[in-house]
Amino acid sequence: MKTSKLLLLALAGSALALTGCTTVNTVENAQKEGRRAMVTDQRVITDASLNRKVAIVGVNSAMTPGGLLKVQVELENRTRSPQRFLYRFEWFDASGMQVNNILSASVPEQIEGKESKMIYSLAPSPSCKDFRVKFIEAR
Amino acid sequence: MKTKILLPLIAAAIPVIFTGCATDAHYVQTGDKQQIVSLGQINIQDYANAANAAVKELLDSGAIDKVANPPALLEISRIVNNTSQQVDTDLLTKKISIALLQSGKALTKSVDKKATGYQQESEFMNDQKATRLPDFTLSGKIIETVDRAGNTRRTTYSFQLSLNDTKAGVQVWEGEKEIGKQGTRSSVGF
Repeated sequence: MKTSKLLLLALAGSALALTGCTTVNTVENAQKEGRRAMVTDQRVITDASLNRKVAIVGVNSAMTPGGLLKVQVELENRTRSPQRFLYRFEWFDASGMQVNNILSASVPEQIEGKESKMIYSLAPSPSCKDFRVKFIEAR
Repeated sequence: MKTKILLPLIAAAIPVIFTGCATDAHYVQTGDKQQIVSLGQINIQDYANAANAAVKELLDSGAIDKVANPPALLEISRIVNNTSQQVDTDLLTKKISIALLQSGKALTKSVDKKATGYQQESEFMNDQKATRLPDFTLSGKIIETVDRAGNTRRTTYSFQLSLNDTKAGVQVWEGEKEIGKQGTRSSVGF
């Protein structure tokens, strides 16, 4: 009787564990046509837990034909479970002053287990020369 | 004896419990970690995220740069509300027009009656008949879809926007941002 109850519990537990750990398989072209202009980045990690789970792989930038700086950040979920976080881009002009932006709200994002994901943003005006991206773990 | 020890402990625990649960009113930042996520309602951060995505895609497409006399002149047209709630579409369109103005890529046609009155008067006095017509109009639709499975509800809001070229009469850019929320009840925190 006890063994059957335990077996049921184990089965239910493993089903739950499997549901919570869905990872992503990917395929892409091996010979890349596009070349990313990588940015030498400077990181300040205060939440080591988030950094262990969702790692920043690299940052690259480009200019749009309209003269706006476009920044892309590659993230990787190093865990096997989905992770939720908020990110926010901040922009600075040539004098290092932060440029006010009506759309500077935090963006909620989710990344699946072992998934690699790109997030990007566009400078709010051509005067923006530098940027900073903030990440915060969801509850 | 036991009761004597237990009573002060309980008395000490009560304020701790209540302090932990109660939330005093305080100012919050839009889109912060403690935002309220409502299942059957468009939250303020949803408008901000939809506007953010639209402006990003619109500026990235370069569609607004293709005008003879930059910056482009934009007029906000009709945003159809196809949701079950009353929506002030300015919460979406104002953010977009402010962001475009800040980018220096577009000016919005004034809807202020006094301003347009002065403009017409100035044209008359100077014998000018060259009112600049808008290069583009921005129109769109907000659609709500609800799915249910038992107690779990998923509400998806689709923000669809189109940039229309007034001279050619074609849509030169279209964008859609879907914001989905799922759960059994509304909650605090993303």
